[in-house]
Amino acid sequence: MDRNAHDPSQPPGDFCRRTRREFLWEAGAGFTGLAMAGMLGDGFFAGQAGAAEVDKGRFVNPLAPKASPLPAKAKSVIFLFMYGGPSQVDTFDYKPKLYGLDGKTIAIKTFGRGGKKNEGRVVGPKWKFKQYGQSGKWVSDLFPNIATCVDDIAFIHSLTADSPIHGSAMLQMNTGKILSGSPCLGSWVNYGLGSVNENLPGFVVMLDPTGGPISGSKNWSSGYMPASYQGTLLRSGGNPVLDLKRPEDMNESTQRKLLDTLHAYNSDHLTHRADNSNLAARIASYEMAFAMQRHAPEAVDIQSESAETKALYGLDQEKTRDFGRRCLLARRLVERGVRFVQLYAGGAHNDSNWDAHGNLESNHNYHAGRTDKPVAGLLKDLKRRGLLDDTLVIWGGEFGRQPTAENASGTGRDHNAYGFTMWMAGGGIKGGTTVGETDELGSAAITDRFHVKNLHATVLAQLGVNPERLTYFYNGLDQKLVGVEGAEPIHQIMS
Amino acid sequence: MPRLHLTAITLACLTFGLLDTPGRAENVAPSEEQVRFFESKVRPVLLDQCLKCHGPEKQKAGLRLDSRAAILAGGETGPAVVPGKPEESLLLTVIRHEADAPKMPPSKKLPTLAIADLTRWVEMGAPWPGQQDTGTVPVKRRTAFEITDKDRAHWAFQPVRRPAPPKVKGQTWVKNPIDGFVLAGLESNGLAPNPPATKAELIRRATYDLTGLPPSPRDVENFLADRAPNAYEALIDRLLASPRYGEKWGRHWLDLVRYAETNSYERDGAKPNAWRYRDYVIRAFNDDKPFDRFVREQLAGDELPDANNDSIVATSYYRLGIWDDEPADRELARYDNLDDLVATTSQVFLGLTVDCARCHDHKLDPIPQKDYYRLVSFFQNVNPYRNGGPTDEAPIFPDDKARLAHVRMTAEAEKRRNSIRDELTAIEREFVVKTAEGRNEATAIDLEDLKYRYYRDTWDTLPDFNAIKPESAGSLPKPLFDLSPRTRDDAFGFVFEGSLIVPKDGQYTFSLDSDDGSRLVIAGKTVLEYDGIHGQGDEKSVSVALLAGRQPIRLEYFQHGHGLGLTVAWSGPNFSRRLLSMAESQKALAQVRPNSPIARRIATSGVVVLGAKQHARYVKLKADLEAVAKEMLPPDRALCVTEAGPDAPETFVLLRGNPQTKGDRVEPAFLTVLGATSPNIPKPPIGAKTTGRRKALADWIVAADNPLTPRVMANRVWQHHFGRGIVRSSSNFGLQGDKPTHPELLDWLASELVANQWHLKPLHRLIMTSSAYQMSSKPQEGALASDPTNDHLWRFDMRRLSAEEVRDSILAVTGRLKLKMYGPGVYPTIPPEVLAGQSIPGAGWSTSTPEDESRRSIYIHVKRSLMVPILESFDAAETDRSSPNRFATTQPTQALAMLNSSFMNQQAEALAARLRAEAGSDTKRQVELALKLVTSRSPTDAEARRGLELIAGLGSQGLKPDAALKSFCLVALNINEFLYID
Repeated sequence: MDRNAHDPSQPPGDFCRRTRREFLWEAGAGFTGLAMAGMLGDGFFAGQAGAAEVDKGRFVNPLAPKASPLPAKAKSVIFLFMYGGPSQVDTFDYKPKLYGLDGKTIAIKTFGRGGKKNEGRVVGPKWKFKQYGQSGKWVSDLFPNIATCVDDIAFIHSLTADSPIHGSAMLQMNTGKILSGSPCLGSWVNYGLGSVNENLPGFVVMLDPTGGPISGSKNWSSGYMPASYQGTLLRSGGNPVLDLKRPEDMNESTQRKLLDTLHAYNSDHLTHRADNSNLAARIASYEMAFAMQRHAPEAVDIQSESAETKALYGLDQEKTRDFGRRCLLARRLVERGVRFVQLYAGGAHNDSNWDAHGNLESNHNYHAGRTDKPVAGLLKDLKRRGLLDDTLVIWGGEFGRQPTAENASGTGRDHNAYGFTMWMAGGGIKGGTTVGETDELGSAAITDRFHVKNLHATVLAQLGVNPERLTYFYNGLDQKLVGVEGAEPIHQIMS
Repeated sequence: MPRLHLTAITLACLTFGLLDTPGRAENVAPSEEQVRFFESKVRPVLLDQCLKCHGPEKQKAGLRLDSRAAILAGGETGPAVVPGKPEESLLLTVIRHEADAPKMPPSKKLPTLAIADLTRWVEMGAPWPGQQDTGTVPVKRRTAFEITDKDRAHWAFQPVRRPAPPKVKGQTWVKNPIDGFVLAGLESNGLAPNPPATKAELIRRATYDLTGLPPSPRDVENFLADRAPNAYEALIDRLLASPRYGEKWGRHWLDLVRYAETNSYERDGAKPNAWRYRDYVIRAFNDDKPFDRFVREQLAGDELPDANNDSIVATSYYRLGIWDDEPADRELARYDNLDDLVATTSQVFLGLTVDCARCHDHKLDPIPQKDYYRLVSFFQNVNPYRNGGPTDEAPIFPDDKARLAHVRMTAEAEKRRNSIRDELTAIEREFVVKTAEGRNEATAIDLEDLKYRYYRDTWDTLPDFNAIKPESAGSLPKPLFDLSPRTRDDAFGFVFEGSLIVPKDGQYTFSLDSDDGSRLVIAGKTVLEYDGIHGQGDEKSVSVALLAGRQPIRLEYFQHGHGLGLTVAWSGPNFSRRLLSMAESQKALAQVRPNSPIARRIATSGVVVLGAKQHARYVKLKADLEAVAKEMLPPDRALCVTEAGPDAPETFVLLRGNPQTKGDRVEPAFLTVLGATSPNIPKPPIGAKTTGRRKALADWIVAADNPLTPRVMANRVWQHHFGRGIVRSSSNFGLQGDKPTHPELLDWLASELVANQWHLKPLHRLIMTSSAYQMSSKPQEGALASDPTNDHLWRFDMRRLSAEEVRDSILAVTGRLKLKMYGPGVYPTIPPEVLAGQSIPGAGWSTSTPEDESRRSIYIHVKRSLMVPILESFDAAETDRSSPNRFATTQPTQALAMLNSSFMNQQAEALAARLRAEAGSDTKRQVELALKLVTSRSPTDAEARRGLELIAGLGSQGLKPDAALKSFCLVALNINEFLYID
């Protein structure tokens, strides 16, 4: 939207000859100035010294888009979070030997919610694998549609995490730490790069209809950073963002009158306090809110999408309609400049997500069945619109699953953080590649082992941010998403 | 693989003839073959795979692998190689990539052959050509951490002095010594202080600062009318005496101590009685409890000679942090929790981030890693948090008399209960005999009053269930030991308790089989124990003599993993084996034909079988039993700290913070840079419950010569009056913290705090009666240019209301605010859209009465993963760690909530109702009152007209007058003047 064009819905006048954009946000109070320092490239230590200026002298908009410090391959991220932990050996990590061992008890070290074990009964993979694409990637029958996109995908078979327990593993996949209280990947990205569309939140989370993931808002929290960077829940219908809808008894023109009166009071108040940019920022925030009410519903309104597009995402079928709709919204959001979109496939507890402790087949058939077509549709739609080039798509859960059974009977698998698979596509990721290996049973990463931190480093690197340099001063320390010791991006999959 | 391994070693030994000298460390000149072997098999591996992180560039874990000397010297975890001893060589352990051990290189295991080669090389004695002399390549070892004179000279480590206020030119401005320090700074920078604020501005500023609420219009009128010379001082005294003061300043303290009432993580379970700590803090501020006492109570309230209820509740301090009930690594989690204590204690009381030295010496401050673990050792003996139970909770009584009365009452009630039970049993037996049901074994009821407690955790043996908080508890549908209330098949436990109905005196045989461990306790004696992890099929049995009647029975059981099961049975003089546990076949049976308990059978046929009189007696006894149970109320409990006894376990430095790699042993000691000596901790008396270490720590923190504590606290008081501390980084007084803008003033205030016996209220009074505090916040052009951040305090800084102040002020002006104090947390309505973010929407969030919903925000239940939206939106404290500052963000989502949320629209309705009630039907008066309420001043005519115009305009659009007034009220609640203080 053209900032300089006169918008008839806006009150006349300007705020101290500043553009509206400059007033949008403020991260006040003493210390927050330090928050901005980390991104200032080589001069960032110098930046910290002038921290207090941010509070009073200058006005900084924390979510204004910033140029990435390094050349960026990706502008936006869509994280398809397979909550609960899909089984790698039943999806993308082909282990032909495992079929023959089905039912045999073998010596194997595992660590799941049932604790550490030294042996277990193998559950052979429950689906057949076939090779697809130029790359000849093996994909199980759970994902016939994603399988057609393998040449755009880079698979990482050797991820590891620090915890095989949902609570802490979810926190680690989202924040890098197993301890509660740190900012999420989406917060870091918005902190580092801002977001392009001021009428929409910069970090959007869309939940499964069955409920949120365990630990709820901790999974999109900005932790020790200001709330400006936390994820905003977006619903695919009705009132998309909390409090976006006007109350029943107020129409747009009534609200406009109200806002004009408010503006007049606030302008009077500002007259003798013109040096205080916080006041001007707050005045501007009402106009932004008014604009969001106008524009956000359009972003989630899919009526204008063609029947062919809707079908591509599986909106024409009951089982794929929900996730398909959210995938389609994800595309619409990144199209409109939203920086980070996270979709949960699966919610609540037990078999409402990928947490297949009881019956692996029914669980994974269900969750793959409702996501395979939408995910493939998303990749294809992004690609044909030229959006895949700068949209980084991530697929995976907080950990994987063990090759052996959890219980005395049945096919359920316990959690496994020793080795699991995630994949990325678009945003400068080398398609048709595979990196890392688990052992021949798929139980632990043995070759090119990567940690969740390496995954996070890769996301930042593709966005043009050096993971070692994106810092936030807190608690006496320059905090980093990748931790004090740092982590390398996964160079093998970066083009 | 092992076979191959041995062969390789044997081969190596034979080839190189080293069998006789396997362990030597000195590197004799290697043979030609050894050189070839090293150059072709060993050096390339080290070069390609190891030196990137352990070479000249980087030395991760302090280890270099580019010379023999360096390898033998090793890194933080010790020598990498012991020549000739592959089993003792760490290098070989890590390259094998065993589960549960460090794995090197981290990304990929070396080829099997390379591992064999390196093993061979160690076996040879690690020959390294050209490096016979271990001195040729000096190893860059970590130099010992040094505290320099410069470090010691850091301003915050100097003793607090009481500087005399400097001489200033503008002496008339100086109301008290504070002004002398401030004005001196202004004058020397060519600045002049702002003129005083107006009286209207002052009462609003002071009322918010001390109570967190706006002054009422009447307060304002009275103050403006009060021409007495000490009117302002009287106002300050009145505000300091208000109970609202503790609610406002207590909240600042709660931010610091990461106060929350739940644990975070998956279950985010509620902490028992955490709210008592919140009440304790509010009372402490209102009572102006001396700060040194306040510190002692929180750190060592249980160890004080005059420990009391308050001081026990105060130790909730230790239990307020995040807690993962299901950690991946228990030992690491224990140290994470200790780290929470070190971090909070060092930042809050000392203004130092000692926690940055957990893994290595502090990178910025003169705090060696040893200091961190010395501080850990003060807390090492604290019982790990378990979310309730005897190690986390203590009964509290108003006084000793009440405590004794409770003990007496409980004992007496118990006696009565036992005698009632005996009599009941006798009648029940009579019933059983008379109805001859006792002979019918299939329907016999052997267990009564059977209750269970269910636990979730992983154990290898039966734990002390009494020390753990159960996941759930209840009664079983059928009086048999039954595992069906479990929520999963692995990692859980049960305790069953009830009464065993013994039909007659005699010898009874009990049998027990379980997968995994179990224990059967009858009449207080363990009769069968079958602990550990095992399957079923090896039944244990025992014969026990029992007296007829009702005997207490207790069964403990745990399940680790793989299969599960429990079979308990008994037989006696008149009957053969009967199950006391639920058998699979019986489970199905139970569902179709539930056995009714004896009480129900007596209820239906008691009169006929026993006769009316005996039946009536039975009914009365049952009622008596219930009455006694009601009398036996448990006492109030407090969340508190406890220790494992008088002897602390040893504390070691953990290399890189890893509990698996212990370094030097340390003893409790204070910070080295302060030149502090080791504490003198008296040996605890026999039978003591604690080590006394925490008291020693508290005593040191508030000791007269501790330079940090009084400065840190005086600075916090200043911070919450002026919006920023004299040291802006109010929890970091270290080398990287901000320097004080007025160092002498800070010292003077610190000395004043101590001189006032650590009372805070005199300090508030002093600060608020200074000219500096009473300046206007208006801009001055010149000063803005030369000192834009107001470092020199040429004006008073405006501030936005805090999250709690925003919500409380809205309730206050709409007239809905309820000032009820104290008690368990309340639960304002949270919109379903927000609850939808939880994995179980609404879990852990209760409902409150409309009155409770309108209480001050400090009384809202603090749930870590779910916050009331208006508080979250206006930057309430992040609760997972100590939070010394609040953000003040401005976001469009705040505006959306302030316009559209149902809370705001309800409040706008409420304000409109108040206006109609208090200002009558005259719209002008309604508008004026609304503006007066939100701004604490009389509106100008133009301002009133603007409101009237809005209402009229909306009316002409067809809005009814009430709706138009409500819309105006919404505007009034949104104006900047309401949310910002001059």
